[in-house]
Amino acid sequence: MVNLPAVLGVATALFGIGLYGLLQRRSLVAMLIALELMLAAISINVIALTTLTGQDPSLGQVVVLIFVGVAAAEVAIALSLFVAIHRAAHDIDVEHLSELKG
Amino acid sequence: MSVADGVFLLSSAVALAGALLAVGLRNIFHNILGFALAMLGVAGIFASLGSDFLAAVFVLVYVGAVAIAMVYAVMLSHPLDQPHRPRSVPKIAAAVLVAAGVAGALWNVLRQVAWPVAVPGADAGAAVTGRRFLTDYVLAFELISVLLVVAMMGAVMVARRSRPGRGTW
Amino acid sequence: MSGPVLAALVAQAAPLAACVVILFWLRQRPGLAAGLAILSLTVTLGAAGYLVAAVAVPNTTVLATANWLPVAEGPGLAFGVLLDPLSTTMALVVAAVTLAVMVYSLGYMAGDPGFARYYGFLALFAWAMLGLVLASNLLQTLVFWELVGLASFLLIGFWFERPAPAAAARKAFIMTRVGDVGFLLGVLLLIRAAGNATIPDLIAAAGPGGSFAPGFTELVAALLLMGVIGKSAQGPLFTWLPDAMEGPTPVSALLHSATMVAAGVFLVARMHGLFAAAPEVMRFLLWLSVITAIAAATMAMVANDIKRVLAYSSISQLAYMLMGLAAGSVAAGFFHLVTHAGFKALLFLSAGIFIHHAHSNDMREIAGHQPGSQRAGVIGLLAGSLALAGVIPFAGYFSKEAVLAAMGEHAGTAVLALAYATAGLTAYYSFRMVFLTLRGGSAHSPAHDAGAHASGHGQGETAMAAPVLVLAALTLVLGWLGHWFAVRLSPGAEEHGALAFGAGPLTALSLAAAGIALAWLEYGRSGAPRTGFVERMPALRDFFATNWYLDRLYGATVVRLANALSRAARWNDQTVLDGAGDGFGAATVGGGRLLARLQSGYVQMYVSVLVAIMAALAAWLMGGGRLP
Repeated sequence: MVNLPAVLGVATALFGIGLYGLLQRRSLVAMLIALELMLAAISINVIALTTLTGQDPSLGQVVVLIFVGVAAAEVAIALSLFVAIHRAAHDIDVEHLSELKG
Repeated sequence: MSVADGVFLLSSAVALAGALLAVGLRNIFHNILGFALAMLGVAGIFASLGSDFLAAVFVLVYVGAVAIAMVYAVMLSHPLDQPHRPRSVPKIAAAVLVAAGVAGALWNVLRQVAWPVAVPGADAGAAVTGRRFLTDYVLAFELISVLLVVAMMGAVMVARRSRPGRGTW
Repeated sequence: MSGPVLAALVAQAAPLAACVVILFWLRQRPGLAAGLAILSLTVTLGAAGYLVAAVAVPNTTVLATANWLPVAEGPGLAFGVLLDPLSTTMALVVAAVTLAVMVYSLGYMAGDPGFARYYGFLALFAWAMLGLVLASNLLQTLVFWELVGLASFLLIGFWFERPAPAAAARKAFIMTRVGDVGFLLGVLLLIRAAGNATIPDLIAAAGPGGSFAPGFTELVAALLLMGVIGKSAQGPLFTWLPDAMEGPTPVSALLHSATMVAAGVFLVARMHGLFAAAPEVMRFLLWLSVITAIAAATMAMVANDIKRVLAYSSISQLAYMLMGLAAGSVAAGFFHLVTHAGFKALLFLSAGIFIHHAHSNDMREIAGHQPGSQRAGVIGLLAGSLALAGVIPFAGYFSKEAVLAAMGEHAGTAVLALAYATAGLTAYYSFRMVFLTLRGGSAHSPAHDAGAHASGHGQGETAMAAPVLVLAALTLVLGWLGHWFAVRLSPGAEEHGALAFGAGPLTALSLAAAGIALAWLEYGRSGAPRTGFVERMPALRDFFATNWYLDRLYGATVVRLANALSRAARWNDQTVLDGAGDGFGAATVGGGRLLARLQSGYVQMYVSVLVAIMAALAAWLMGGGRLP
C-alpha cells in the first residue's frame, strides 16, 4: 500500500490544496500557511523518491532537513514582515496592499 | 495490510483533511489549527516511509514552533474585529481552476511513469543522517545555521518598533 | 607643475570651493559664509599678486594644459591656463575689486535675508571671471564666459521677489545671449579650421604667415565681436546695462563696471592678434565704439538715477577701451580697463553709501539727506569723478590720454574729434552728478533722520568706508603705471608719453575743464538753475533719456518679429507637432492602461500567472517538446 504512486498522489493533492489556498486567501498569514503546505508536499515527494526507489534514503533526509531549516527562516522573516506591514498599513489583506494603480 | 500501510492511510487522511481546513475555513485561528493537523499528518507519512527522525522534526518545528509563531503574528497583526468580506466567486473559480489544473497535470505525469517498486528501506535513521550532515554536507549544515541566525536577527530588526528620533535601523 | 601654474589653479579653486561650501552648507550661517568668501578671495588675491610678479617679464607666456577632448587629427581640445602679463594683471584686478566689493557688502547687505546666498554668488562670479581670464583655450573662455553670464543673472536678479530686478536679470541674460550666438559660431569655426582652440595657436594661425585666409579671419573676428558687443554693452546691445542697476549696488560696482562688462574688452585684448589681422572689423569696431561712447555720454547727461548715470558712463568708458584696442594699442586699452575698474568701482561704492543712507537712487533725493555727512562717500565720489573726467593727477587722465594718443596715430580726424567731444561730455555729466548729489539739497533737507541713520548703520559704515578709501587712494596711484603697462603689453611699441604736454593732452584737459565749468554753472553755483541745457530741450532730453529710442525700436522691430515668429511656431507646434505628439501620447496611454492591468500589484495574480506559465512549460516539455 505504501507504494510510490500513492505517496506521490497524496503529495500532489496536498500541493494542489496549498496552491488553491495561496491563490485564494486574502490574509497574508493564510497565504503563508498555504505556502508551507506546498513545501510539505514537496518534502514528501523528496522522501518518497529517495526511500521507495531503494536509492539513497539518508540523502533525502538531509535534503528535507535543509528544507526545514530554510522554511523556518522563511517563516520567521515572513511573520515579522507581516507585523511590520500591519504597523505601517493597519491591514494585511493583499488585495488592499496593492499600491500600483492599474 | 501492514502497520505501515495503516499508518500511511491514516496519516494521509489527516494531512489532507488538515490541509483543507487550513485553506478552507475563514477564521485564521482555525486555519492555523488545520495547518498543525496537516503537519501531524505529514509527519505520519514520513514515519510510514521509515523516516522516524524527520517525522519528529516536523512535529517539533511545524506543530511546535511555526504554528505558535503564526498565532503570535496573528495576534499582533490581524484586525480580528473586522467582519469578513464576502468571498469573491471569480477569484475562487480562478484559484480552483489553476490549482486543479496543476494537480491534474502532475497526476497525469504520475500515471504515465512506470515507477520502480521497492519496500521502505530499513536504514534511514537519524544516525546515518547525522553522520552525513557532519561529513559530506557539513558546508550546507553550517550555512543553514548561519541562515537561521541571520533570519532571526532580521526578523527582530524588521518587526521591532522603530523609536522616534532614530532611523528605521 | 610649476609655481605659476599652481598659483593659477589655487586662485581659481579658492572661490569655487567657497561657493560650493556656502551654497550647500552655509546658507543659514551668513557670518561664516561672508568670512569664508572673503578668505577665499584673499587667497586668490595673494595668488594673483604672485602671478603678476612671476610673469612680469615681457613676452613670457606660461601655457599649461591638460587634454580634455582628444581629436583624432590634431592636438584636440585642452583645458589649461595661459599666463602672460595680460591675464595675470586682469586676474589681479578681478581679485582686488571682488575683495573690495565683498568687504563693502558686509555693511551694505547686512541683515539681508539672502546674505549667505549673496556671498555664494559673488564667489561663483569670482571663479567664473578668473576662469575666463586665465583660460588657455577659446572654448574654455566661452564656457566661463557663459558662467559669468549666469553669475551676473543671479546677482542682478538677486532680489528676485521684486519684479523689476527679475525682469532686468532676464533682459541682461537674453541680450548678452544675442551676442553670444556669434561668439559660439566664431569659436566653432575656429575649431573647425584650426583643429584646436588654444589661443596662441589661433593667433599664430591668424597672424601674418598663418594658415587662415584673410576673409576667414575677418568673418571670425566679426563673430567674436558680436559676443564682445553683447558682453561689454556696446553698439546696439547696451540697453541691458542701465536696467541691470536693479541689482544691489555692490554688484553693479563689481559686475557692471569693473569686471564682467570688461570681459568683452578683455577678449578683444586677449585675441588682439586675431583682431589685428582683420582690419575691416577693427575699423568697424573703432566707429562703433566712438558712437557708443558719445551716445552713452549723452544719455548720462539727462539721467537722474545716480546708478544709471554711472551705468551709462561705464558703457562710454568701455567704448574708450575698445577704441584704444581698435586703434591697435593693447597697452592703452587695457590700461584704461584697469584704471576704470578702480575708479568706477569706487564711484559705485560711493554711490552705494549715499543710496544706503538716503534709501533712494535719485540724486535729487540724495541731496536732501545731508550727503555731506557721509565723509567716505564724498571723498570717493569726488576722487572717482575727477578720475572719470580725466583731471590730471587722477588715474583716468593717464589712461584716457593713452587711448587718445593711440587713436591720434591710427585713426581719422572725425573719429578723433568725436572721442575728444566725448571726453568733454564725460567731464560735464560726471560733475553734473557730483553737484546734483552733493549740493543744493540743503534748502529742503530734512535734518531729522540723518542722526537716526547714523546710529542705525554704525558698524556697517566702517566696512563700507574702508574699501572706498582704499580705492580712492588707488585712483591716485594707478595712473602712474602707464609705463609699466606699455612695457609689458606692447613691448617694442613706442611709448605714448602721457606726460608730454602736446596738443592732445592740452585739448583734452581744457575740454574737461570746460565740461566741469559748465556743470558748475548749471548745477553747482548757488542759485544755479539745476537744469542742464539738454533738459531745456524736451525733444532732445526724451531722445537721450530713452536710450536713443533703442528700446522702443527693439519693441517695434525685434520683439514684434519675434512675436510673429513665435506665433508661427506655436501654430506649427499645436497642429503638426502636437497632433503627432498627442496621437503618440494617446496610443502610449492606452497601451499603458492595458499593460497596467498586468501590473496590478496583486500578488496572487502574479502567482497565478507564474504557475500557469510553469505548468504550460512543463506540459510542453513532457509532451516531447524541445527547447529551441
